[in-house]
Amino acid sequence: MIQMFHVTKSYPGDPPVLTDVNLTVDKGEFVFLTGPSGAGKTTLLRLVFCDEKPTRGQILVGGRNVARIRAASVPYLRRNIGVVFQDFKLLPHRTVLDNVAFTLDVLGTPRSESRERVLRMLKLVGLQHKAESLPLKLSGGEQQRVVIARALVNDPTILLADEPTGNLDPGLTVEILDLLCEVNVRGTTVVVATHDATLLERYQKRVIRLERGRVVSDTAQSEAVRRTG
Amino acid sequence: MGGVAKAEVFWRSALQGIRHQPFPHVVAVLTLGIALFTLGLGRAGSLAVEHLLRSLGTEVQVTVWLRPGAPQADVDVLSAALRGRGFGVQLVTPRAAVERLTRELGPAADALRGLASEPLPPSLELQVPPAWRDPAALRQLADELQRQAPVTAVDWGEAAVERLGALARALRWGGLFAFAILLCATVVVVSATLQLAIYARREEVEIQKLVGATDRFVRAPFLIEGLLQGMAGAALALVGLAAVLHWVAPPLETLFAFLRVPSPAAALWGLRSTLELLGVGALLGLLGSFLAVSRALRA
Repeated sequence: MIQMFHVTKSYPGDPPVLTDVNLTVDKGEFVFLTGPSGAGKTTLLRLVFCDEKPTRGQILVGGRNVARIRAASVPYLRRNIGVVFQDFKLLPHRTVLDNVAFTLDVLGTPRSESRERVLRMLKLVGLQHKAESLPLKLSGGEQQRVVIARALVNDPTILLADEPTGNLDPGLTVEILDLLCEVNVRGTTVVVATHDATLLERYQKRVIRLERGRVVSDTAQSEAVRRTG
Repeated sequence: MGGVAKAEVFWRSALQGIRHQPFPHVVAVLTLGIALFTLGLGRAGSLAVEHLLRSLGTEVQVTVWLRPGAPQADVDVLSAALRGRGFGVQLVTPRAAVERLTRELGPAADALRGLASEPLPPSLELQVPPAWRDPAALRQLADELQRQAPVTAVDWGEAAVERLGALARALRWGGLFAFAILLCATVVVVSATLQLAIYARREEVEIQKLVGATDRFVRAPFLIEGLLQGMAGAALALVGLAAVLHWVAPPLETLFAFLRVPSPAAALWGLRSTLELLGVGALLGLLGSFLAVSRALRA
């Protein structure tokens, strides 16, 4: 689903943010991307949803080489990728329903169909009773669930989450991660960037560790080595 | 189906944008209103001047000098042909010409006594219809008449007509130039103002792009806002122009009655002028928002 070959990303005058990254995430996998602040987790996710282009190397997302993709094709690629951020990025003047429907508006989904799908998605994240509320009236956990609903409402094949629980207390963190696991069980490939070690231990998923822009460990590879050894 | 749904989204988004960020929109509408009001006044002024020049043009008279003793039948044929082309034709016989000259000279008419009884040749005096009131057409007419058998000369006040034409041309081009400068300045100011509105909604644009909106999708609501602002600005300008018509124009008309300039109401009002102003407003709003949103998308 996601393949990176010798990917390097650098900005003029600064040391590389990512150096020679090689990794593969299969369809339907759940992967934690971890490492200290500044390790390159966010940059790696941004490369996947084409918010940045790699300086060197190739990136395949769903079989398409996004390192060479035309700017005009980027929106169509993004319709297949849901993105969740730590700072939510919700529109404060719009209701929960309108915020989630935003994704479907872009696709030109008729309002009646859109409403039905949004309500179904809000039910999945447990917020159907808050459809007409404004985001600022919700708790942090509820806001993050709205963001997840917005990211998933058009059935993307990949969900990228950048520190989705960074602003939440431990109880809400588990609630959000359980939700992401549920989404993964339904077939969506999920990549979560986090520096919260307790999550990695609790959920026992594949973990790719980045340090100073390099992949320093990948539990999938360790497992493979252990099996062949 | 998708197109209708998208159009609904664009209009909803545009109206929400105006409701949540009224200040930049009010500034843009005021800017457009002032610019369009100025344009409207300028247009009324240029129409009045053009009308004045045209009315001066009607004073242009063509005199066709006829050969003394030319057969009346030939003169009649020529007169009929000219009338058929819309000219007013008056035959001035030698006697009538002398009588007119005597009247015009007044006490100095005694000087005519020593001359022959009919010193002036007969002539045809032509009233020029609007379609012929330009130097090129009059020159063509004079050349054509010159070739007619009973005609000896044609006098059409070439110098005066050409000066008048040059003045009209200069005013027209000057007006167009000023119009273009004002339009450009308005587009720049409106675009800068709208950029404030777009900046205030950068988060919305960012999220739209994140969920897969194309540049065209992001641009559409802002273009609708620009269109609505342009039309609102034009409506404001129309209200201002109506106020000018009501309070300022009547005293001016009285003051300059001798110039025979048309009433400003005739120049400013009417369905066509109103639609033109609304159209220019809409176009300016669209252009301003297009530039602003394109700049924002590039950034």
